[in-house]
Parts: sequence; C-alpha cells; structure tokens
Amino acid sequence: MEDYKTYLAENVLSEDKVVTYRLLSRALRVHPNVAKQMLYDFHKTQSTKKPGSVYATYLLYGIKKSIHHQNGNAMDIDLPSSLPDADPVDDDEVPSYTLALIQEDRLADVLKDYETISSIHVYSVGPHPAKDLTLLVDAAQSALAIKDDAKKPRPRTIVNSHVRRRERRGPGLKAAAAAAAPVKPESKAKAAPTKTASAKPSPVPAPAAAPPKTKEETKSATPAAGPESPAAAAAAAATKKPAPSLKRNTSAASGIMQAFSKAASLPKKAKTSAKSTPAAEDTRVVLSDDGEDDDDDILLPKPGASSSRKSRKEREEELRRMMEEDEDEDMEEKADSPAPEEEEEEPVFEEPPAKTEAAKEEDKEIVTTTGDGRRRGKRRVMKKKQIMDDQGYLVTIQESAWESFSEDEAPPASKPKPKVASSAPPAVAGKGKKAAPKGQGNIMSFFSKK
Amino acid sequence: MVTLDEVLGSGLLQKPSGHDAPEALQRQITAYKPLQTFKLEKTRPYQQQYADIYFLRLTKIRPAVEAAASAAWEGTVLGGEKVKRVERVLDVRQGELCWVAGTVYMDMPLKPSILEDVSKDRWISAPTSVGHYYSGNGDDSIMLEDDSGRIRLVGNAVQNHFMVTGCIVAVMGTENANGEFEVIDLLFAELPPQPERWSLSKGKKEETEDIEMMDASFSGHPSKPPSKKIAIVSGLEFSNADTSYAMELNLLLEYLLGEALDRSIQRDELSHITRLIIAGNSISTTANETTKAAAFDTTTVTNKFQPQQHKKYGYDSSCYNPIPSQLFDNFLSELLPTMPVTLLPGALDPANASYPQQPIHPAMFPQSRTYMSPPKVGVGKDRDVPVEEEPGWFDNVTNPWEGEIDGWRVLGTGGQNLDDVFKYVESEDRLGMMEAMCRWRCVAPTAPDTLWAYPFQEDEPFVIKDCPHLFFVGCQSEFGTKVIHGPDGQTVRLIAVPSFSETREIVLVDTETLDVERVRIVAE
Repeated sequence: MEDYKTYLAENVLSEDKVVTYRLLSRALRVHPNVAKQMLYDFHKTQSTKKPGSVYATYLLYGIKKSIHHQNGNAMDIDLPSSLPDADPVDDDEVPSYTLALIQEDRLADVLKDYETISSIHVYSVGPHPAKDLTLLVDAAQSALAIKDDAKKPRPRTIVNSHVRRRERRGPGLKAAAAAAAPVKPESKAKAAPTKTASAKPSPVPAPAAAPPKTKEETKSATPAAGPESPAAAAAAAATKKPAPSLKRNTSAASGIMQAFSKAASLPKKAKTSAKSTPAAEDTRVVLSDDGEDDDDDILLPKPGASSSRKSRKEREEELRRMMEEDEDEDMEEKADSPAPEEEEEEPVFEEPPAKTEAAKEEDKEIVTTTGDGRRRGKRRVMKKKQIMDDQGYLVTIQESAWESFSEDEAPPASKPKPKVASSAPPAVAGKGKKAAPKGQGNIMSFFSKK
Repeated sequence: MVTLDEVLGSGLLQKPSGHDAPEALQRQITAYKPLQTFKLEKTRPYQQQYADIYFLRLTKIRPAVEAAASAAWEGTVLGGEKVKRVERVLDVRQGELCWVAGTVYMDMPLKPSILEDVSKDRWISAPTSVGHYYSGNGDDSIMLEDDSGRIRLVGNAVQNHFMVTGCIVAVMGTENANGEFEVIDLLFAELPPQPERWSLSKGKKEETEDIEMMDASFSGHPSKPPSKKIAIVSGLEFSNADTSYAMELNLLLEYLLGEALDRSIQRDELSHITRLIIAGNSISTTANETTKAAAFDTTTVTNKFQPQQHKKYGYDSSCYNPIPSQLFDNFLSELLPTMPVTLLPGALDPANASYPQQPIHPAMFPQSRTYMSPPKVGVGKDRDVPVEEEPGWFDNVTNPWEGEIDGWRVLGTGGQNLDDVFKYVESEDRLGMMEAMCRWRCVAPTAPDTLWAYPFQEDEPFVIKDCPHLFFVGCQSEFGTKVIHGPDGQTVRLIAVPSFSETREIVLVDTETLDVERVRIVAE
C-alpha cells in the first residue's frame, strides 16, 4: 500500500512528471478513488516537508452561485397558439452543474463562487504549477496508454454488466486473410482477359511457344538489343524527364531478363509480380516458361526466316516511330506508372496496339483475321459506291465490305476515305460561300485604298 | 459560498484509509429501441426528381392541416361573408373569402437556387456560405403552392409566424386586386398524435423494472433510487489542430466513465447516466481543410513550372488526417465498456452530406466497432432487417434519428435542419423554430430546397408521424430547453444541445420526468 509514495516520489520529484489520479490508478492498479486519496496524501506530506515542492490541481463538482444564462426565449414569436399554455421553462430552472479543474493556488478564490460543492478531490500532482494544460493532457493520455492486462484488470468505479460486444468473427485476422486472398485471383483475373486477348490471335499458342524457345535463345542477342537500344536512345534524349528514366530501368531489366537463362528469369519475375500489381501481368509466364517473351514467340512466324527478318525490320521501324511519339506523350503517360511498364513490354510485340491510329485500326482487323505465318487476311472497310438509281440520279452509298490484304500493304486510310466521300458535296457548297466573301473583301480593300 | 476549510478533510481529501478498494458500482441501464425511420437502402438510385418529396409531404400533412382549419374556420363569418373552403390554390377567386391549404415556398434573392446554378453553368454546387437567406429589405416573398399553382401570401398574419420553404399551412383570407392573397389567419398541422410511453417496447417494461429492483438492492440504496439519466452531447470536434479543449474532453470522459469525483456522486449521479447520445460533429475537419488547401497550392505551382513529379492515388497522408478520428475512436473505446453510445452523424462527420445522413461507417472505428452490432451478411436492403434484432451497444444511427429510450419516443438531429431553418427567419429563437418544426409536423421542412436531401420517391420520412416526447437538436450555439404542449395533450420536451467545443456543456435528461440538467466542464 505504501508503494504509491515511492512511485509518486520517483515520477513527480525525480522525473518531473505530472501524475493524475487515473495514471496512478492504472499504474498501480488501485481504485481511482484510492488513487485520489494517495495523491492528496502525497501532496500533503510533501508540502509540509518542503512547501512549494509539489503542486496539485483539484477537480470539483458543484453548483455555481450566480449563473447568468441569456434566455433564448426572449424574442418569442408566438406560434399559432390555440394553446396559450405553452410554457417555456425558464433556463434558470434548469440545474446547472459545473465540473471544474482548478489550480491549487486559485482554489480558495474559486470556491467562493460556488453555492454548493458536491465533490472535490485532487486531480493531479506535479512538480510545477500547471500553467499549461497540455502537460495535463499528456498525463491523461498516458493514462489511457496503460492498457488492461488480463491478469490484473484495473479496478473500475462503474461497471456495466450488460455490455455486449459482438463476438469477433475474426474481423481483423479473417478480413486480412480474405483481403489478401482475393487480391491475388483478382489481379490474375484482371490480367487474364488481356492475356487471352493477346493470345487469341495466335491459333496455336502453346505449340508456338514451345519450339521457338530454342530459337529464341540464339536470337535473343539481336532482338534484345533491338528494343533496348531505341529505348536507351530515347532515354538519353530526354534525360530531363523523370519518366524515361523509369522506363529505362524497366527496359534494362527486361533486357537483362532476356539475356538471362529462362530458369533464372522465372523466379525473379515471380518475385516482382508478387511485389507490384502492375507486374501482375507477368503472370502470363504460366503460358510458357520463358519470361515475358511469350507474345513475341506467339506472334513470331514459325516458318520462313526471311519473312521473320523482314517483320523484324518492320518492327524496329515501328518501334522507332513509337519511341518518337513516346517523347511527345511522355507528359501524359508519366502520371500512371503502369503504363510505361506496359509499353516497355510492348516493343517486343509484333504490333504495338497503342500508337498510331492507323496501326491501331489495322491491329483490330488483324486480330480477327490473322492467319498463320505471313499475315494475310481480310479486313472490313467502308467502301463508297456510286450507283444510278431508277430515276437516273447518281446515289453515293457507303457499305462495308471485306477486303483482303497481305502484310506488305500499308494499312488503308480507311478513316479519311468516308470522310471525303461524305463531305464532298458540302465542300463544294462551302467553296461557293467562301468565294463570295473573298470578293467582298476585295471590294473593301479597293475602297480602303482610295 | 464555500470556504476552503469546509471542504478540507472531507471525502477524498484525506489519507487513504488502507481498506481495500471499494467494489465497483453497477451502471444503470435503460431500455433502448432505435427505429429505422431514416435509414436508406444501400443501393439507392439518385436519378429521380425531387418533386415527389413535396407531393408526398403535402399529401401526408394536408389532411391534418385541413382538419385543423375546418375545425377553426368552419362557419366563420367575416364581414357578412362566410368563409368557404377551396380545394386548390388555383381555385381561389378574387374577392372571395376562402381558405386553402398548401406548401409554403419562400422566394428569397439570397437563397441559393438550383435554377440559377444551372442557368449559369455551375454544375458543382458547393455548400452555401450565406449566413442568412433572409434579407430584411422586403425582397423576400412567401408563396403558397400546391400541384395546381402558386399564389403570393401577404398580410400581417404571415409575418407573425415562422415561415420556411416546405412547411404545410392553411391560410384564410381573400385574393386582392394584385392577385395576392391577403392572409387573415394561418394554421399549421399542430403536433401529431403522441404514442403512449412504452408503446414500442411494452414487453420490455417489466423486465427492466426487475432489473431496476435488482440494481437498487445491489447498490444498497433502496430508499428512493435516483432517477436514471441519459447524456446528450454534440460537437465534440476531436481535432489535432485545436487542442484548447482537449483537457475538457478528458474530463468529460472521466465524468462519463465515473472515475472522477467521489463515491457518493459516483453512486448517485454518475452511475445513473445510462446512455450517451452524440448528436453530431464528433470530428473536426478544420485541420484537414488547411492541409488540403496547402496541398492544392503546391500542386498548382508544380503544374505550372515543372512537370509534376508524381500523382498519388488513394490514401495520401498529406491530405487526409487520421488523427481526429483516432482520438474519437479512443474516446469511444474507453467509454463503451461501461456505457452504451448512440452516435448521430453531423455536418462535419464522415458521412453523406445530404439528409438523412446515414450512419458513419464502422471502419472509422477500428477499436470501438466491436461493440457495434455485427455487419449484416447477405442483407442487401436495410429495411429487411428483422425488427427483433438487438441494437448495437455502440449504435451508429442516422441523422435525423428516431427511437425509444426508456419508453419515451425520442427524435434527434445533428442540427443541420435547425441551422437551415434559422437562415430563413429573422429571429434568433431556435427553440421557437424547433417548436415550429413540431407543429409543422416536419423535421426538415427546408429539405430538399436548401437542405440537401435524398430524392425520396415512395416515402417522405421527414414528416413526423408520431409526436416525440423528447426532441433534441445538436450542434447549437447555446443551450436551451422548453416544454411545449399540443391540443390533444401532447407534451414535448425540446432541447437545443450546445456544441461542446464551444460551450463545454453536456445535457443530462432524466428518463422518468424528462427534466433537464446541464453540466459545464471547466479547466482553468
């Protein structure tokens, strides 16, 4: 029972701390009311020993003497009163208690203002007069920091036997586990559609992936240099910008990946995929077991080395074109980090699905029609047709038609074509209109000259 | 007058006696049954028009208004002319003495108007910063409308009453040569029928009485058990920027926990506080706004002069300040083991901005949410919740909220409804406005005109169907209370609950008599 004196002496006198009754109660596991008495006793003995060595604050509860409430009902607008008996209760009738925290030195003064004091006790004891309440706040907060332990629950003044808690159905643990679990499949699922979409064009994904693997290794030097060098050049060209540097990192990484053996690259990839969500796309390693070059393999023509070389040239050119555009688009792309990474993977694709509009369109068509090896297929185009109808008028109609094409062909400018067709008659009209103002302008200038 | 000598040596101002600790007191309980009146479905559409609210309100309240009006005016003869009832506003004929019921619409130049916003292409509506819609220079006009048309109301009778958009009134008078309606008399629906005490939880009454008896004998205080109380507080505004009242908040917690003060007070008063109702504005967002503004400034600057470094998605610790909500959560988790809490959201709280505000999400309370009722799994619509379900010990509810505490019907709001009504009128008499709301039978008449509200389709919950016994409004500038009576013997205790951050006051309501006490917490 006497250990509170040593505790208080240690904390208040030696460590210059403010101790509230709650802190004492929780630290020593004594009833708060006992703690209040302990504080009082400590304060009293210290003050008699050495006046002014400790200072107390008091908490008191009572009714103040003169309470001036402004009455809100002063400007009573009378409501429809079929009932004159609406009696506004005078605020002064409302008992008003005050719970006040008072410094030791002001206690006597403050007490004079009270009509009755129902309760008073020492709130805290500190080495200095508590000028600043923040010290007390800290002390109060540190009391909260002392948590209950199961072995020796702290004594409470008031308990409630009716308290209910919902049984923890592991909202913490289970939720965390649940959150962790669905995230994976979700990202996988998200990646899956893109994967399947990109894989679809190739009619035989798995077999196609398997044979070129060996080829890929021998080839890896050149194709790896292919995507890497333009990227590096682009990065060098735009060193001021932060995004390319990021890009270079990934490109370098992918280059290294390619240089590495498959066995080495696989675990690393897995690691990165576990780390970052954008890398979740790398889950396509399950398709074949060599890094990110799946799509390359898939789209790479199996037979015909010459065509493959050709396509590589084409690819490089496209890459360069893309890189040039990249610089323009950097500003926008920088914002989202996944995009550059994705793009970095795309250079090894046959057809980057992003860049020029024409390329995009062609890509779309190809997806539906790509055949084997040399790409040859049909695409849907809008064709203009002029026919004479039964009344002798020329009618221009547009209809979609299938057009076959081979790889060498440039993608048709299918967009501009219908535009021209549709805007041809208005253009003529516009010309006529434009011509008229021009003439007037001449007249004006003629006048102004004079 | 109390002197120092009187208090010294008494109670706790003495040496510890050395006896072992006194045993803990048992906190009293009161029956509690929240109602789901203002609960919205989780999957609620926002596509519909607001007109239905006015229509529903008019259909619901008009019968009462017309009943009151015909009782008062039936057979009245003024100036040799008998007062006639007119069905629709458009049927009012010039020079004819008649009465008609309809919805009030206030046309005020200072009032925000959606039509104006749309015509000026302002599609993002910010909360209004206008302190008063009332201009006082006579530009404001009062209209009475129903689904047929609209007529301007003039006359002294109108000026003598609080009038806001959305309240349903019956007016008696004549249309003058200007096409305005000269109001001679005006009536409201008056207080709705008041349910008996314990009407919702009849069966529980005996049960609680038993507990009461048991508790009384348990605490060894059989004489006259001091009556039980509920504490109402609002505007706690936990903040990490403004710590000027942090000590008061601590004292409040100790007071409610019953750790403060001495044993007799703890036994007779503190242990009888059976429930805490928090009526809005528990979390202060002032700090958030400043940091947000700072963040906004820096982003605009960087946008201008250099490419932006990076953009953060989702959680940004520089924009969002979690400390206020953590403090609040700590407060609740300390208090909840001994006291049940009902929490209404307010204007500052992280809930939806439009009325009725839905409960604050449990995720805001990582520590105290274990006291909430468990989340409903697989229940899409909250109205399907079985009625018998036990309310959470920590009950986060809607604003406005309706429930039954110890048999009394209680209606409470976080204060936005009253604040908005306040802007319409010249008066400062907030209790009078609360009374008017009861007499209008509408807890939020200005919704959806100036008080943002959900576009209700099937039901208009703001209409007060059952007259409450206790009507409190939180987050007010000062305390006020009043008892009003209705024509059929209804008695309503009105309480304007002051904001704790401003006044450091809480309100205690006696659960037997509905008498009010206030407790002021001072730290000097």
